[in-house]
Amino acid sequence: MSTSSKIYVVAGKEIAEDDDYITYVEGVGPIPRDIYKYVKSDPFGDLSRYSVHIVIQHFLIFVTFLVLTGTGLPLYFSELSWARYLISLFGGADQARLIHKIAAFVMMAASAYHIVTIVGGTLGKILKGKFDYRRTIIPRFKDLSDLYHDLKFFWGSAPYRPKMEKFMYKQKAHYLAILWGSFVLMVAGSALLFPDTIAAFFPDAMSKLLPSGVLDEGSFPSFSQNLARLMHADEAVMALIVIAFWHWLNVHLVPGRFPLQWAFLTGKITREHQIEEHFLEYLRNLQEIPEEREYMRKLLKEKGFERSQKVTLEDIPRIL
Amino acid sequence: MGSIKTIKAACFCFVLVFIVLSVGFPAEAADKENCLMCHRYRFVGRIDENGKRHNYHVDEKSYNGSVHRNVPCRDCHTYITKIPHDPITEEVNCANICHIKPPFSQEKFSHQKIIDIYNGSVHAIKPEDPDEARKAKPYCKYCHLNEKYTRVSEERIAYEETLSRCLNCHQEKGVTQAYMHMTHRLRKKTTRSPQEIVQLCAKCHQDIELMKKLKVSEKALTAVETYNRTLHGKSVALGSQETADCVSCHASSVIHDIYKKDNPESTVYKDNLNQTCHHCHSKANSWFVKIAVHPSTKHEENPFIYIASIGLRFALYGSVFSLVGLMLFETYGRRKDGIKFLLRHGTSWRGKSKRQPK
Repeated sequence: MSTSSKIYVVAGKEIAEDDDYITYVEGVGPIPRDIYKYVKSDPFGDLSRYSVHIVIQHFLIFVTFLVLTGTGLPLYFSELSWARYLISLFGGADQARLIHKIAAFVMMAASAYHIVTIVGGTLGKILKGKFDYRRTIIPRFKDLSDLYHDLKFFWGSAPYRPKMEKFMYKQKAHYLAILWGSFVLMVAGSALLFPDTIAAFFPDAMSKLLPSGVLDEGSFPSFSQNLARLMHADEAVMALIVIAFWHWLNVHLVPGRFPLQWAFLTGKITREHQIEEHFLEYLRNLQEIPEEREYMRKLLKEKGFERSQKVTLEDIPRIL
Repeated sequence: MGSIKTIKAACFCFVLVFIVLSVGFPAEAADKENCLMCHRYRFVGRIDENGKRHNYHVDEKSYNGSVHRNVPCRDCHTYITKIPHDPITEEVNCANICHIKPPFSQEKFSHQKIIDIYNGSVHAIKPEDPDEARKAKPYCKYCHLNEKYTRVSEERIAYEETLSRCLNCHQEKGVTQAYMHMTHRLRKKTTRSPQEIVQLCAKCHQDIELMKKLKVSEKALTAVETYNRTLHGKSVALGSQETADCVSCHASSVIHDIYKKDNPESTVYKDNLNQTCHHCHSKANSWFVKIAVHPSTKHEENPFIYIASIGLRFALYGSVFSLVGLMLFETYGRRKDGIKFLLRHGTSWRGKSKRQPK
């Protein structure tokens, strides 16, 4: 684990990244874990989190996502009464089909744009020697222990939330789910859009490799098309439900984030949120941004925290 | 003098032509025998021996707007021979030869050609059919109700598409020329909409009890249900005008040539499928035609799809309930930091922390 990061020294002792109340940062001072309750935050964000590319990609993806669900959902629920009204918003079934295809291509382009940004950005960082996999979305074992730690905090048996990196366990899970979901939707959607090409793509020999029981009418094209119909529809409904009942609530509407987390437009995260949920990323920001260091030093001074490098439990009431 | 006469004659001709052109010919029902003298009255009718009421009213306006507006009454109602009429025992026979001649033809018009095709189709009444089947099978009037000319859409369509329908009855010679050079109205789509077609076919075909009596194949038994589950069916249900309906695949442009799947003449016979799909799917090939247009709803027939759908359901409910559960648990857990919906000052759990030491 990350005991190798020796910057964090409290009371003269080297400490691990886990649950310790005070984190001592060279040139700033000892930072208590719940300092986020006292910092000043701009609701539109203080610290850079997403590049302008990511903001554009999020915008493109969510607009096309809404259009795609608006034109696709009535087809899935075509026998229900509201389907006709929803599809008529897009000019009827034939118009909606065209809009669905256009939106799908825009979304695919946005996804390609995203891959280019991610790969390009990573390569750039590697070349500059700044790449750190802990700051990326790559899942680690620490995410599981963070989840466990967080659940303990929510239950009441841990005093503070875990110190997490730029992307926490929830965001990593969500990102990977979107990656898988959009892959399935794109493949299955292409199979529905170009059934003839997809059918010709698979040789009939494929049907002989698979056991005959799993094949509808004994032909692979038919089977693959049936699977595509199922996957595209069900995966899309799942995506919509997860977005509507989890992403919107959890990211934008829960107390503390309501009415919106403006990061999706500004690309910036509030200081308070950063310290609370992405503490390790905040420490990195302290290293990288002199103004932030200055701000934190002033804040700690204000709270009477800058004096001692040796902080004991008796100091805590005075600090708060 | 001679020249004045010529000018007078010319003027007369001009005025005559002008009058004729400006007055025009009102569309008039072919009612030379004046049947409407009685039948124009709205309540002309009788009560039969069983007490059932019959109304014999003919609405002149509607009839003048119908496709048969030029056909005299007795061309179809041939059994009417005297006034007052004898009790009616037979029905109208669409195979009758009418007294109107189609353009460019010396022969009188008849629907015989299309009826012959129909008689070869799966819907025709065969001599060996039991009574039930005879009753259930649709004859001309079941589908064709002498409807008014209605425009389905204002979109112009390729003339070959409409012309192929005309040529089912009319002779190719002359009609093609006339159609290409004069007719503009028919360039608009006038055929039934996909919704009407599906509704019409489903009227009988979704009645599974009836279909069982007619001994249709296992697949045909659930044809309506399986069609409605496909993208074709769902698009049509939502009002699409471009999507394939029943007759798009099961009949050629003759429309009445619907055969069983194993009949080599059928458009859905395995060797003809490629050509049939080709009407819409321009890249259709021998692989493409194997895709199920009526995918089975039975789990035994495609167990893998069934298992996959169960797996997806688990993924759906599992992810939604666990994620929403986590969110609610988190909200519960963070309540000790104070819950505030700060509209103006933005994102915050700040407030009075209950954990704050005094």
